[in-house]
Amino acid sequence: MDQIAIVGLDCRFPGAPDAHAYWELLMRSGDGIRNVPAQRWDAADFHSPTPAQGRANTTEGGFIDAPDAFDNEFFTISPREAAAMDPQQRLLLQCAWRAVEDAGIAPKHLAGTSTGVYVGIMGNEWAQLHLTDYDRVSAQVGSGNGYCMTANRVSYHLDLKGPSLAVDTACSSSLVAVHLAGNALLSGECDYAIAAGVNVALTPALSIFYNQAGLSAPDGRCKPFSAAADGIGRGEGVGAVVLRRLKDALADGQQVYAVIRGSAVNQDGRSNGITAPNRWSQQEVIGAAYRRAGIAPDQVDFTEGHGTGTVLGDMMEVSALGHHHAGRAARPMALGSVKGNFGHTEGAAGIAGLIKVALSLHHRIVPASRFAADENERLDLRGKGLRLLKAPLRLPRGTSVAGLSSFGMGGTNAHAVLESAPAARPTAAEDDRPRGIGHALYTLTAPSPQALRRNLHAQADALGARRAPVGPVGWTSHRVKSGHRHRFAISAPDTATLVQRLRAAAADPALCAALTGQAGTTPRTAFLFTGQGSQYPRMTAGLYQDAPLYRHFLDEADGALRPHTGRSVRDLVLSGEESVHLTRWAQPALFAVGYALGRTLQELGVQPSLLLGHSVGEYAAACLAGVFPLDAAARLITARGALMQQLPDGGGMLAVLAGRDELAAHLQDEPEVTVAVVNGPRATVLSGTTTALNRVAQSCERDHLRTRMLRVSHAFHSPLMDPMLDDFAEIAREVGGAVPQLPLYSTLHGRLLDGEAMDADYWVAHIRRPVLFADAFTAAGAAAPSHTVEVGPSPLLSSLTRRLPPPAGGIRPVATAPVRAADSGGQDLADTVAELYRGGLDPRWDTLYPARDQRPYRLGPYAFNDEHRYWTQGPARRPGAAPPAAPAAPAPPAPSAQDSAVLVLERPAPTDPVTETALTALAQVGGYEVSELGPLLRLYEDLGFDSVMVMELKKRLEERLPALAALTVQDLLPRLASVGDLVAFLREYCAPAPDSTQERTA
Amino acid sequence: MSDHPHAPEVHLASVGTALPGDPVDNAELARVLGANEEWIEMFIGTRTRHFARDLKTGTVRWSLADLCAQAAERALAAADVDPGDLDFVVLGTATPDTLMPATVNNVVDLLGLDQVPTFQLQSGCAGAVQALSLGRTLIASGEYRTGLVIGGDVCSKHLDVDRDLTKAAPSDLVNFVLFGDGAGAAVLTDEPRGARVVLRHVLNRFTGLGRTPGQVIEWFGLADRHDDRQALTEDYKAIEEHVPVMAVEILWELLGELDWSRQEVDYILPPQLSGRMTRKITEQLNVPTAVEISCVADTGNNGNALPFLQIERLLEKMSDGQKALAVAIESSKWIKAGFALEKI
Repeated sequence: MDQIAIVGLDCRFPGAPDAHAYWELLMRSGDGIRNVPAQRWDAADFHSPTPAQGRANTTEGGFIDAPDAFDNEFFTISPREAAAMDPQQRLLLQCAWRAVEDAGIAPKHLAGTSTGVYVGIMGNEWAQLHLTDYDRVSAQVGSGNGYCMTANRVSYHLDLKGPSLAVDTACSSSLVAVHLAGNALLSGECDYAIAAGVNVALTPALSIFYNQAGLSAPDGRCKPFSAAADGIGRGEGVGAVVLRRLKDALADGQQVYAVIRGSAVNQDGRSNGITAPNRWSQQEVIGAAYRRAGIAPDQVDFTEGHGTGTVLGDMMEVSALGHHHAGRAARPMALGSVKGNFGHTEGAAGIAGLIKVALSLHHRIVPASRFAADENERLDLRGKGLRLLKAPLRLPRGTSVAGLSSFGMGGTNAHAVLESAPAARPTAAEDDRPRGIGHALYTLTAPSPQALRRNLHAQADALGARRAPVGPVGWTSHRVKSGHRHRFAISAPDTATLVQRLRAAAADPALCAALTGQAGTTPRTAFLFTGQGSQYPRMTAGLYQDAPLYRHFLDEADGALRPHTGRSVRDLVLSGEESVHLTRWAQPALFAVGYALGRTLQELGVQPSLLLGHSVGEYAAACLAGVFPLDAAARLITARGALMQQLPDGGGMLAVLAGRDELAAHLQDEPEVTVAVVNGPRATVLSGTTTALNRVAQSCERDHLRTRMLRVSHAFHSPLMDPMLDDFAEIAREVGGAVPQLPLYSTLHGRLLDGEAMDADYWVAHIRRPVLFADAFTAAGAAAPSHTVEVGPSPLLSSLTRRLPPPAGGIRPVATAPVRAADSGGQDLADTVAELYRGGLDPRWDTLYPARDQRPYRLGPYAFNDEHRYWTQGPARRPGAAPPAAPAAPAPPAPSAQDSAVLVLERPAPTDPVTETALTALAQVGGYEVSELGPLLRLYEDLGFDSVMVMELKKRLEERLPALAALTVQDLLPRLASVGDLVAFLREYCAPAPDSTQERTA
Repeated sequence: MSDHPHAPEVHLASVGTALPGDPVDNAELARVLGANEEWIEMFIGTRTRHFARDLKTGTVRWSLADLCAQAAERALAAADVDPGDLDFVVLGTATPDTLMPATVNNVVDLLGLDQVPTFQLQSGCAGAVQALSLGRTLIASGEYRTGLVIGGDVCSKHLDVDRDLTKAAPSDLVNFVLFGDGAGAAVLTDEPRGARVVLRHVLNRFTGLGRTPGQVIEWFGLADRHDDRQALTEDYKAIEEHVPVMAVEILWELLGELDWSRQEVDYILPPQLSGRMTRKITEQLNVPTAVEISCVADTGNNGNALPFLQIERLLEKMSDGQKALAVAIESSKWIKAGFALEKI
């Protein structure tokens, strides 16, 4: 039979704000019980130590912290709607999101899939408080209440299209939800399922009920199977697990906490009383689960019991278990219950137990059960083949099996059998594709800059807590932390450095902003291939050492060159030989580096929108553009270098800080000097005999034009090249050359090649004629590249382009360079990819990491904003009781000075009545402050408007602006993109007719 | 020592090591300390070493726990053992990060482990061997199946970069140029795994009754922190005199215990005092047919990391059926130590 894998989880329980804290609480046998918070109900008001009508016998219980905090902006829910929503819905939303992230998937990845949502819930107190105040029932209050909406709420906001149901079987609700989710997975109804449970106590009703039924513990604590057991204590919580078929999870290399082997649900039927536990039915449901799981009772190592700590309940439960375990050959089965830590979490009890069992199997240790030391001897556990978990139980290596019970007050019983996850072996692709750049990237996205920084903090804390492998951390971050508008990226060689950098970015908004881009664009990259003069001994050696990917392509280029060069150009470069400066080596070496860098970038998913090569750099550009294959390019560039090397000495080059026109006068009487390179409007390089160049230099200096003699062996791009042209042309004709398949801006023509082949004629002219770099780059500006990537060993062209005038659009492309300096290694390449990611690129992450790093690592889940608080008008009180001295509802936090500054800047200038009316109406419908409504905020995406709210908005606008009477919804809808759009439209619509005096005199 | 006849054989499945930062060569060290580079080459014979603190600023960059955790991770990865499978962790060190908590517990925390038995052995150069001995005994007991044995030291705690050593006496100077930092770890198992090397025998014996310590490292508390005592003192004359003799005795004791002949030994792992001392001892051990495995000239004397660094080099060379003997001596209170490995 197929099994179900628990692949992700998240929870919040009393004394444990997250899953990590939950495990810690369990392992230290922590107590989550405290006095009833004033926010819920006035405990003293309802308390009576002796039995009394309408009273509870306890003032304590298991309450979670900050149940009123909700990150409504994250889910684009307006404050008004958030305030109307049952906190159980809000808690579930955040919990479900975090559980999906914990499963190693971005929640947006599940959007549109048939993922099912099953929520166990039995409390509906928010609705009882709010739906009875009839005058205040609004559309939001309607949809925000009723537990019918809980699962649907999750499905809606995560866009999940599978089954979506709230399950109420009283105290067994959430384990029944897990059972239903598992069945749906096994029947193929869905491929992923979120099973959850939630319980928030807002009124003392159940405490009073337990007391009246004689089931309430005076100290508010469940003491499962203990001699001190004296009833139930109420608890709160929310928990969610992400479930999959085990074989799917294993095939995807997903991490598995534990496996659900089988589960069963039954009913007491007509038993001793509708609320009385029934031993025979419990026994039957446990047996059914064992059968379904295909295990014998003595295989079960431990069971998480229901364990409410009522005398009758405990007795029934151990009797039912005893039926299966009394005769077991193995050690007595270990038994405990989490209810001892924070009470009975009712609708969430099953999920609390499930998460505890899953974590126990995962950590291979079962926490001790609170109050177990004082065992209830009358239960005769030993005789039933059971023993209490008085101390943590270390599970042996290999597979352990666990049981989990959850019984409903109305007689619906559930039991599940779990076992340890199979030992997973990474199944990363083991093809021989080169991978890895020796550096990891870490990416994180968030809906706002504040959310980004908050999450960077949270991630730094989680990663700093213990040693984490940086590769899997980075790889997982790309998969899980994706999908939001603000894209943060940073590189790091190891986790310690990563943690430092994350902290630095989180602490400094300016730094964080510099490392963050906005989604919605795709970068258009211009590859700039550097030419001769940029070479140096050991160029790119660091990258070669760090990055297997680059190593592969440099080796490939070296292999292609070797038949023509006769020796390894790679070895010549890497060994640090000065001869790399000789033209015969410099040219093939630069070609190899340019080719290898370009191919490396392409494999990383960086595809050039256009290419441009400076002089010799054009060979690698042409090769990447498909002009000729690598072997042919290698032959041609080697011949070029070798033939030039053979030319006689005596030629040189002179750089002059002047435009070519300015130089005309100085060259008039110098036939042996020609313009070789035009790098900019005031950056020209001349070529010719050394003696003639010296004369020109003197003449230029007289005119205060600065000159510099370049360290070159020959006068490139000049008539002095003529003696080699015939020999070169012969080889070039054999090699041939096609039309580039990618947009290539030629430095020979100073423009985009338009269907022209880069053939022998082209390459011959390329040697002889000037390099029109400035013209070519300026022409490329028309293609509006967003980024330049310098493909060469030093970023010379990046600095040249900065001196060129900005393109027509006015925005210069962002300059990046995978090799910045002689000591560059993997980091600079990683930084280039990071910059392009910020610009909207989705790199090929599976090329960036070696196969061994392509495995999931559980990152900390999303840290939600807890500044916004939504709660009821006041705590529940007994009728006629005196009101409290001070209001209990916390005031919303004041916006920080910085936030309001931003809002002020964005707000429209001096308001007119129409604007003011529009903003007021928007604020009222959405529940915002007028000051929060910047013109760029989008109604649907940012403010959480829906069709109901639009109708209300229109109604309110009409009331105040009679001019809108004729406006239909259809007219209004297209104008609701943003606050600014709406205001502009209304102003236009309500403007006085064009013949008004104002208009004429304006 | 006689093993229980039914006790499982104990296997060394893998080794991992961690050396902090880039190697520091004699030129750089001489520059920082104001010492003579040639003197280091000549009399110490150590070429490079690694330091856990920044040599220029003196800031600590790695703790002992960091280095041990790094070495442990590498050993676990090399043996393909999940950290959760460890039944115990033993650390031998002379230079714990703090007296409490014992560094081994911080190492285990860094590895993300909980509920695991830990041991820390306070010892100098013999600590790694003592850790191997304890690890071997635990597994041989049958109660434990897989364990992690770690050795490491951060000697640079005593490397005071602000001190001017231009006029220091050689006996003082030697403390500054001899040592280095590092850590090593080995995974021990009850079945052949990974490197498939059997840990045949371990020797660990105190032999210092009534003898003056050859080496003392002090520790200071609130009451005596202003004392003028030297933190680290060594009696180099005594060490030079006694260690070679002890080394030869250890060699023959191991051979006798194992019933191996000298010619059967394929590799010899001599004590790693310094490049020069190690050369001298190896000559006296006189096992010409065995290949010497040493590391101290490159790593510096980083105490309890040394045996692991040696085993790491050994595993690169060792082939099936080959045998290796290791000799270690702790000259503080004259502890004899050694072990034997055989690849199956």
